[in-house]
Amino acid sequence: MSLADVLTIFHGALTTLLLSVAGIALGLPLGLGLALLRWGQVPLLNPLVAVYVSLLRATPLVTLVLLLFFALPSAGISLGPVTAGLLALTLNTAAFNCEVWRAALLDLPKDQIEAAQSVGMGRALRMRRIVLPQIARTALPGLINEMSLLIKLTPVLAVVGVVDITRAAVRIGAQTYEPLPPFLVALAIYVPIVFALVSAQRWVERRMARREAAA
Amino acid sequence: MPSTTPFNRRAALSALLLPLALWAGAAQAANLDEIKKRGYLVVVTEDDFKPFEFIKDGKPAGFNHEMVDALRKYAPFEIRQEILPWPGILAGVATGKYDIAISAILMTKERTQSLDFSSPIADATHYYVKRKDDSSIKSIKDLDGKTVGVQTGSAFLSRLPELQAMLAKDGGKIGKVVEYASYPEAYQDLALKRTDYVINTVINLKALVGEKPGVFELGQPVSGKAYPAWAMKKGNTELQKFMNDFIAAQKANGVMPALQKKWFGESFNLPASYTPEN
Repeated sequence: MSLADVLTIFHGALTTLLLSVAGIALGLPLGLGLALLRWGQVPLLNPLVAVYVSLLRATPLVTLVLLLFFALPSAGISLGPVTAGLLALTLNTAAFNCEVWRAALLDLPKDQIEAAQSVGMGRALRMRRIVLPQIARTALPGLINEMSLLIKLTPVLAVVGVVDITRAAVRIGAQTYEPLPPFLVALAIYVPIVFALVSAQRWVERRMARREAAA
Repeated sequence: MPSTTPFNRRAALSALLLPLALWAGAAQAANLDEIKKRGYLVVVTEDDFKPFEFIKDGKPAGFNHEMVDALRKYAPFEIRQEILPWPGILAGVATGKYDIAISAILMTKERTQSLDFSSPIADATHYYVKRKDDSSIKSIKDLDGKTVGVQTGSAFLSRLPELQAMLAKDGGKIGKVVEYASYPEAYQDLALKRTDYVINTVINLKALVGEKPGVFELGQPVSGKAYPAWAMKKGNTELQKFMNDFIAAQKANGVMPALQKKWFGESFNLPASYTPEN
């Protein structure tokens, strides 16, 4: 394995990071939006979201990305590999995030809302000051868990031609007939990425705890 | 994680791809006139099938990539190239996402029902490869009951009956068949003694043994005649003729034999067309 090969894997790492960060950034608020639609029991949309979540949670990511990549052109929409991959990741993670957010919302004591209403807080203010800070704390471990799963799901997108860490390693192994060294390099990249994510979780949790102690 | 075993993946793929291919009936792959009008042809190649196509230092290399380069000079339109792992290649061609797969796709009877093939690009009779230090395998009949590694969805699966027939002559039979997502993994497991032999085309195996002469040793042929070719969507006869004319021109001007010598170690005398018997 040459230096160029290691650089190739790092190039793949950029793709993995880009897709993961974009997938998380899109999937997190999308999941929250879906969860709020269900929590608020918005007529018509509530059952639609329920069906969406059930369908997406039952669909393997590899099936979803193949469908988006190979079937959408028939409907006149042609996506590039990275776009199709990102779309599949986002649709997938939004469904799982929705359930994490929803669990946190269901866990929120009703008296919190009622107390906020009694002091005359409007819907938007209530959401910003009472609901979101509390559900963010309960949902955090579940959300981080889903994020780390998402990062490790990105190799699946290779099937439509996305070259992530794992695919770059596979290509090098195929060329040198020695798959082990590139896979070790790949692992050495995944571990710090997920470790950084978990450290961020601890940092946010500590900050939240400090803020509460101060309040 | 059970969902990543080759078997499940294959089942998931085929369950998805059948309706996909049917749905795609509406979206035709472009015929030659449309390709000329829009000004480009979309070709798809593989990324880990040495020596036909692979990636070296981040750049595509191999026999088919150099043929694509020759096609760029030959064709009056632009060539757009996409690089994909094997599982998506035939699906992409069948759904019309790509006009042609410039890859080493073995011509089989089954595949000719849904795809049209170009003229053969190489001779790919199947051989077995074994560990060099494994003295229990000396000829075909020693393969009786031994564990074999092959690539998932590769044409060899449909050719297993040929080896079965060879073994049956001496009262033997094929042992456990292990399927891999790609050949490099199959070779690795052979080296690790998880399997006893791997079956692939003589070209791929010669490249492997040339690279690792201390580990692997080439065995004997386990199939009849076999040719890889490029695949297009069924019924795209003008494109097929265009590609066959291109191949004929590259044979005549010596480019194709030279590339075969460079990548496969020998040049082949190939027929202009071939109808697979199995």
